[in-house]
Amino acid sequence: MAVLSSRVPHLTAAMLAATVLVLLSAPAACDNSIAPQGRVPESELGVSSSTPIVPPGYTAPDVAQLIRNFDNLYDSSGTVAVSEITIVRPGKTRTMRMRSWSKGDDKALIVIEAPVRDAGTATLKVGNNLWNYLPKISRTIRIPPSMMMGSWMGSDMTNDDLVRESSYLDDYASELVGRSDNPPGWKVKLDALPDVAGLWNRIEIVFSDDGLPARMQFFDRRDRLSRTMVLEDVRWIGGRRVPTVMRVIPEREEGRSTEFRYLSVEFDVDLDDGMFSLAHLERRR
Amino acid sequence: MMSVSTLRIAWRSLGRNFKRTLLVAGAIAVGQFAFLATSALMHGYGEQFFNAATGPMLGHAQVHAYDWREDRSIDLTLADIDGLLVDIRSDSNVAHASARIYAPAMAALTEDGFMGVVVGVDPETECHEAGLLPVDGMGELLGEHRVLVGAGFAKKHDIEPGMEIAIIGQDMDGSIASDLYTVEDVMWSAVEIIYALGIVMSLDDAQELLLMPDQAHEIVVHTSDRELIDETVVRLSHLPSLADLEVLSWKELAPFVITMATMVDLFAYIVLIVVFIAAAAGIANTMLMSTFERTHEFGMLLSLGCSPGRLSTMIAVEAAILGLVGVAIGTLSGIGFVAATSESGLNYAALGGSDSYEVAFKGMQFSLLIYPRIYAKDIVIAVAAILATSLMAVVWPIMRIVRLRPVEAMRS
Repeated sequence: MAVLSSRVPHLTAAMLAATVLVLLSAPAACDNSIAPQGRVPESELGVSSSTPIVPPGYTAPDVAQLIRNFDNLYDSSGTVAVSEITIVRPGKTRTMRMRSWSKGDDKALIVIEAPVRDAGTATLKVGNNLWNYLPKISRTIRIPPSMMMGSWMGSDMTNDDLVRESSYLDDYASELVGRSDNPPGWKVKLDALPDVAGLWNRIEIVFSDDGLPARMQFFDRRDRLSRTMVLEDVRWIGGRRVPTVMRVIPEREEGRSTEFRYLSVEFDVDLDDGMFSLAHLERRR
Repeated sequence: MMSVSTLRIAWRSLGRNFKRTLLVAGAIAVGQFAFLATSALMHGYGEQFFNAATGPMLGHAQVHAYDWREDRSIDLTLADIDGLLVDIRSDSNVAHASARIYAPAMAALTEDGFMGVVVGVDPETECHEAGLLPVDGMGELLGEHRVLVGAGFAKKHDIEPGMEIAIIGQDMDGSIASDLYTVEDVMWSAVEIIYALGIVMSLDDAQELLLMPDQAHEIVVHTSDRELIDETVVRLSHLPSLADLEVLSWKELAPFVITMATMVDLFAYIVLIVVFIAAAAGIANTMLMSTFERTHEFGMLLSLGCSPGRLSTMIAVEAAILGLVGVAIGTLSGIGFVAATSESGLNYAALGGSDSYEVAFKGMQFSLLIYPRIYAKDIVIAVAAILATSLMAVVWPIMRIVRLRPVEAMRS
């Protein structure tokens, strides 16, 4: 099962808007509560056996369950969302509103609705391919592999973030580090498995006590902190209780950040495959 | 004082073993030729390097917003570009000043996009020998949504004149910028980014596409004389309108060119040293053999009253003649080589059996067609060094002659 959360870590902004919510599966997977387990199970897939620091009075959570829940947080058979992305640059802030549809793991359509200058610009994802529709020139153009690491719509996300599919549970070895004070919760460390290709060498996630992710820190292949994602404004939306704002702050780039905000979401919507096609992309204009 | 007879005897002595003399003179000639040819090629290469660096790519000086060179962020622009250009051109040393825009973009002929770089240039100010549009009439091919594309870029993506090309990028506000252009022609450029990725359009078209009215990323300045670069840069940097901008000379922009020039000189001297060692060994060997063979003769001459000093002079003259003949042949061959290739150039790629004749380094595109250059300084240095080496090489044979005893020598 592809993970929305996986995309979140990769800063799938587009995901957020489109894919993230979109890729969702069974609501049942979104059990956000952390049942006290007494100890960390060692037999779970990818879970390290090292001993976490558990302060007196606390009971260590089940890390595998936390990760599994996270993987499934936004999972859905079909998602329709309206979201807002705010891109902050030194001396400049730009906000776009977009509507997105996604189905399964590999189909998503994002259409920008505002500002007027960008309205109608669309991104279609099918599998590992991305197309952009440019209304001004009435052209649909596929993003080449050489530009997959380029910025998506000028945000701190790359095109690659939109198409990358991964699972925290399958691609990383997780380990409970201990309590976190800021933000309060449990810190879990995910180390990339040796045979998994990806940008990140390590990801540290702080789960709040209700089991929802509150902060993620991504460390690159040289183990340098590369970007931080803060997940906040937890609300009931589309029948689920999830963080509705995700703010991405790149390291070593002062004054830059990208924030996603879900304005509305519908999970498990029945969507026609035909809407994720180039013909539909061009026809709908 | 060397007499005419000494010179005559030395000359005849060299002729007594003609083959050996010819062989050694030939070896010196080959060494001298190798030195001059190598120097000429390195000078040609260095000149091309300098011209490529300070020509269309860097110019003699550049003006940018601070941090633009590192970030290449589209919004780090020079504002009021027309006013800046007026101020810069008011300096009497400035021959050309041109504004440029650089922006990464996606291009597409059909559905598939590919990466390119939009380069906005002013057709009127780039049309000179060291500009980005050095061929007459190139400037007229730009404007009104017409573009030129780099030759490498065109080859890689099968772009041909007359095609319509879509350009998609990001404008100053961060919004998507897109428009359609007609490929007017394909251009070769010594600037790698243009050769391999360049979509060259008029400054006006680029400003319109990227929402950059009266703005640019770079001003490239060429002075009327290389010697005036440093003082011009200092003066420009004190202009009030450029006070908050970065004004740098080519030496600061591309210190590797200086390093390269130093390496070229160093390489030439290494070749020279190798030639000297070969010449010294050849001459010393010849003269030593010659003195051994003529020990009996030297004994006779000494017993007839010839002084050891005159014999030594004779040997030194023989060595000098040997060196001079060799160096003369080598020098003439070297000059002939340069004369034959300085106009047409020498195709390195063809020598290596390759079809390609361009190579990229540090953002510059070089043709592997090298035009050798020779300087009088090289010839003087080589002739003086070979002569000095020839004379040093006979020290050992002379020391042996000085120690000869006439009677013993005659018995040998």
